[in-house]
Amino acid sequence: MAGVELGVDIGGTFTDLVLVDSEVGVVATHKILTTPDDPARAVLAGSREVLASAGVAPTDLARVVHATTLITNAVIERRGTATGMLVSAGFKDTLDIGREHRYDLTNLKIDFPAPLVPRALRREVDERIMADGRVETPLDEDAVLAAAADLVESQGIEALAVCFLNSYLHPAHELRVGKLIATAFPKLFVTLSHQVAPFSSEFERWTTATIYAYTQPLVDAYLDRLEGAFHDLGFTGSFSIMTSAGGIATVNVARRFPVRLIESGPAAGVLAATYLSRDLGGNGDVLAFDMGGTTAKGAFVAGGRPLKSSQIEVARCHAHQKGSGLIARVPALDLIEIGAGGGAIAELDQRRLIRVGPASAGAVPGPACYGQGGDKPTLTDANLILGYLGTDSFLGGTMALDTAAAEKALGEHIAEPLAIALDRAALGVHDTVNEDVARALRVHAAEVGLDYRRFPLVATGGSAPIHAVNIARKMRAPKVVFPLGAGIMSAFGLLVSPLGHEILRSHLRRLADLDTAAVRATFAPLEKEARAFLSDAGATAESVRAQYFLGMRYFGQGHEVTAEIPDPFAGTEIMPAIEAAFDDRYREVHGISFVEQPIECVDWKVELSAAVRGAARVRFATSGAPDGNALKGQRAACFPPGQWHPKCAVYDRYRLVPDMEIEGPAFIEERESTVVLGPGDGAVVDAFGNLVVDIRFE
Amino acid sequence: MPTIDPVELGIIWDRFVSIADEMVSSLTRTSFSTMVRVSADLSCMLFDSRARLVSQGRTSVPSFTGTGPATLRRMLEIIPPDSLRPGDVIATNDAWIGTGHVFDINVVRPVFRNGTIVGYTLSVTHLADIGGIGYSADARDVFEEGFTIPVCKLIEEGEPNALIIEIIRQNVRSESVVLGDIFSNVTCTEVGGRLLLELMEDYGLDSIDPLAAAIHAQTRDAMLEKLARVPAGTYTNAIQVEGYDEPLHFAVSAVISADGAVFDFSGTSPAVGRGINVPLCYTSAFTYYAVKCLTVPEIPNNSGALDAIDINAPEGCVLNAVKPSPTGGRHILGHFVAPLIFGALADVFPNDVQADSGMLSQLNFHGRLGDGRFISSVYFSSGGYGAFKDRDGQSALPGPSNMILAPAEIWEAENAISVLKKALLVDSGGPGRSRGGLGQEVLLRNDTGSPLNMAAFASRTDFPARGYASAPDGSLRTVEVDGRLVHPKKRIEIPPGSIVRIVEAGGAGYGDPVEREVEKVVEDVRNGLVSRAGALKDYGVDVEAQRRIRQTAI
Repeated sequence: MAGVELGVDIGGTFTDLVLVDSEVGVVATHKILTTPDDPARAVLAGSREVLASAGVAPTDLARVVHATTLITNAVIERRGTATGMLVSAGFKDTLDIGREHRYDLTNLKIDFPAPLVPRALRREVDERIMADGRVETPLDEDAVLAAAADLVESQGIEALAVCFLNSYLHPAHELRVGKLIATAFPKLFVTLSHQVAPFSSEFERWTTATIYAYTQPLVDAYLDRLEGAFHDLGFTGSFSIMTSAGGIATVNVARRFPVRLIESGPAAGVLAATYLSRDLGGNGDVLAFDMGGTTAKGAFVAGGRPLKSSQIEVARCHAHQKGSGLIARVPALDLIEIGAGGGAIAELDQRRLIRVGPASAGAVPGPACYGQGGDKPTLTDANLILGYLGTDSFLGGTMALDTAAAEKALGEHIAEPLAIALDRAALGVHDTVNEDVARALRVHAAEVGLDYRRFPLVATGGSAPIHAVNIARKMRAPKVVFPLGAGIMSAFGLLVSPLGHEILRSHLRRLADLDTAAVRATFAPLEKEARAFLSDAGATAESVRAQYFLGMRYFGQGHEVTAEIPDPFAGTEIMPAIEAAFDDRYREVHGISFVEQPIECVDWKVELSAAVRGAARVRFATSGAPDGNALKGQRAACFPPGQWHPKCAVYDRYRLVPDMEIEGPAFIEERESTVVLGPGDGAVVDAFGNLVVDIRFE
Repeated sequence: MPTIDPVELGIIWDRFVSIADEMVSSLTRTSFSTMVRVSADLSCMLFDSRARLVSQGRTSVPSFTGTGPATLRRMLEIIPPDSLRPGDVIATNDAWIGTGHVFDINVVRPVFRNGTIVGYTLSVTHLADIGGIGYSADARDVFEEGFTIPVCKLIEEGEPNALIIEIIRQNVRSESVVLGDIFSNVTCTEVGGRLLLELMEDYGLDSIDPLAAAIHAQTRDAMLEKLARVPAGTYTNAIQVEGYDEPLHFAVSAVISADGAVFDFSGTSPAVGRGINVPLCYTSAFTYYAVKCLTVPEIPNNSGALDAIDINAPEGCVLNAVKPSPTGGRHILGHFVAPLIFGALADVFPNDVQADSGMLSQLNFHGRLGDGRFISSVYFSSGGYGAFKDRDGQSALPGPSNMILAPAEIWEAENAISVLKKALLVDSGGPGRSRGGLGQEVLLRNDTGSPLNMAAFASRTDFPARGYASAPDGSLRTVEVDGRLVHPKKRIEIPPGSIVRIVEAGGAGYGDPVEREVEKVVEDVRNGLVSRAGALKDYGVDVEAQRRIRQTAI
């Protein structure tokens, strides 16, 4: 398969498009404002424009891959479908009761997100299957139909979530309801909790099921519209969508599992960084670090594979605090989100010390230096005062920054109350964010058992290039890479992602009770099901790579560690390898292991992927005029511990050529961001146009 | 003291907090007992070289607020710092040195740098068993409740003390869970120590004491500044709470001045002969916690927050019970210290105080499953959360203590005790301009096939959550077995197939209910939180007509 491919990433503000020709690399990129009322509109307009600019006919387009924030936004803004819910008798209030936990110890006034299905739209049905599979109460089929009829007729629901206790082990009743409803109410979108989240813990599984039901009709209509519109343009190639887990899926899978798309944009960015990690000559370890206007995100990639997680918390309603969002149990890349971006507001907290974020000045009014009426100091204001941003080169010179306004805001709110100099206050704000980000990433690395010190950072997003070198130093990371074209990394990542599907099931079994045949018998149906998805997507059987994971714990514990195990269908005896894999992984995460304790298997996961094609040859064609005459001026800047350097060189990123070396203090400016090199830092341009900084430790 | 740069102080302070948080993370991920890993009955702390609290993990139960400094000080009186060596770990479960009952193990590690102690890490968790009659409130002295591990070197220069470990092994019912959890504590103190040393290296520090002193000063000053906004004076409150057999009186008098706050619990009933007595450390914890919530909730906990507060309680009263008083269920009464203090200060902190909550209850089940495995598992459930002047209380949310519910699907699979129902109770939220949270009904059935022993820890069975600012009270809690009311604090045998029913108490409201906006009442009715009859009776609102037809509640 050769030809031209289009990646489209619909972000909150911009829709990014990148056109790649497998022979020459990136041939065109484009940015257009997102149209939140109908995201497909910007996609189509942007696609037409980017194709026209490259002189490519839609009929010549082999493939379109796209990522969207549609689902997250629908949940945050509550724009989903009127959704009803059928639950086991006695458990109508599970969504209100939650986990009965206050996530903030001393702030007594906390908020929880309202359930997506209001109490009045939940109905109890007589049925109960116990944990051991015994049917305690048979399903009352008449009650099912009566409740559904009432919800449809009197409440106007268009989607229904069916949520029964223990269905993740024993789905018979949920399946029966699915059949009954399909016959009686064929137009209703039905979500069965065990099909979308086959795990224990009713509150989390049911919450996930409601997110599915709530967003599925919306996603369905959106995909219809988009597919139809591309078809009308004359496009006949394959159309697919990024999942939160970093693989791409067909439209059919997306329709069935819409919530798997929930973090597709950020996942694509991580995939792009994964791809770039090959150029770094290491072993594929990299920390994808993105920082924009409101948040920073980090994801570890180990050995060329991004770390995964099995749940995401969306729509947090209390200052980005863990516990204040809705839990979606879906396969996802393990992204750490920190409420600190350029717009993060700096203030003195109750300690009378500096705190930055999670409150953000947003796009409006924005940082004080934007001159749009913002009077609170933000991270961007501090960076401007320090000289890290050019007053007349911001956003390619399209937006002048007001240093006096930044100084006034920071002076009033930070420097004067603390009785410190303005530049000291600005450095404090800057460094507080560096420390916050480094700390969050370190803590996360510890939780998953990674030695963060060996991971080079790949820095993308408007704010990351300003902070990445100092964050890397705090994390003792060896180097930082600033890729060329960082502004469209996510869209690019879409085109270098593999086809992928993963299936995870809970089966609680003692390891000692299992043998190789039993392990195979458990994995076989999962693998078969996952393979069917990939073959639907056009992958050949030979191109599919399978990996097997087991979530295990010592009997009696409540937290699993997930270990990859060798192919259970190869060789003769798998059991010793499973035990060894668990022992190694447990030791990596916790530092010790207990040989004498029995081991319990909890989650069984098969992860399949198929490389789309030889995308390894794709590279960015440099835009602009790389002629080496990159030095465009000088400006003064202040670096830790508080030294002003009057003449720091300022370079034009687009005129750098490979092998150029730049010594700090210096700035390398792009349209959307500025790389900051402090005194003693040095960068070199590699053959691909990436800027690489080796961290020098004293 | 040299001046400390406020920028650096803020950054390092946050690092101190994250060290304690990482200890918590290590602890919960390696722990074997449900109490720790699911319900987070734990706390982790970091101290400076003078045994002053620098930071505490943000996941912690409120009852461990500020107990650490006293615990560590007492432990170091028995094993002085100069007798400690690198690799030593000291421990105790002494109820009066630790956190008020013998079920909590306190584990301390001195952190050495270049041969000198630069700090200590401490962790506390609730153990699944400690011998005795099991976790309950009806022991007659502390000896019945379990055995006490005196302050000792659990680990000596890296080598576990075989005798102590064997004593524990031979005296508890589920030895692998108990010893597994003790070693989870040991591991997490090691994690904390390593992180402290890394931080000191990063910032080139030989001692964290000057930074700690600045943290303490800053915290104390912030709290004093808040207290200074309150008119100096004496603020009092008295409440009744359920004892074991008869009601008990709690009294407090708070003297607030420019120097801080002094809480005196004189007038409180004497200790009783069953395991609901509260040692002073626990009374102090909830005093600190209540004051912190009202004044500086955002400041991470440390010794500075304790410096502005003095606590007196007559020795031998139920809030300062002394050995050998039994204290196993000290939390049932101890939790009332927070609402007692909120009530005293309600007029001077009107925007911050919370009307009484329904509080949480615990049912500890122990016995054997069909496969012979011993279980000792605590089922938590919460009443309604108290309202504030400016917001309703949430339904089924614990306060003032905290917990995490075990999902029915996990609870049933582990304990063979089926959860048949778990539902909010209409009209159980205390009426008010801001409404209290609803209580709930929980039905549990013994499906183990054998009798289970159930120890209940339930309050608000006689005295409901009290409403604030003219709001009436919330609804009461009951515990029933097979339809019969049972004693809320006694151990009871639950035959196989029997059903335990808990009705959780409603949280109280704030402000006169007839001042509640009609739209909010109608919305509550639509969501099934208030009945039509309730709307009329409690709020004077005719839902059909969508208007208020009476200006007083019935």
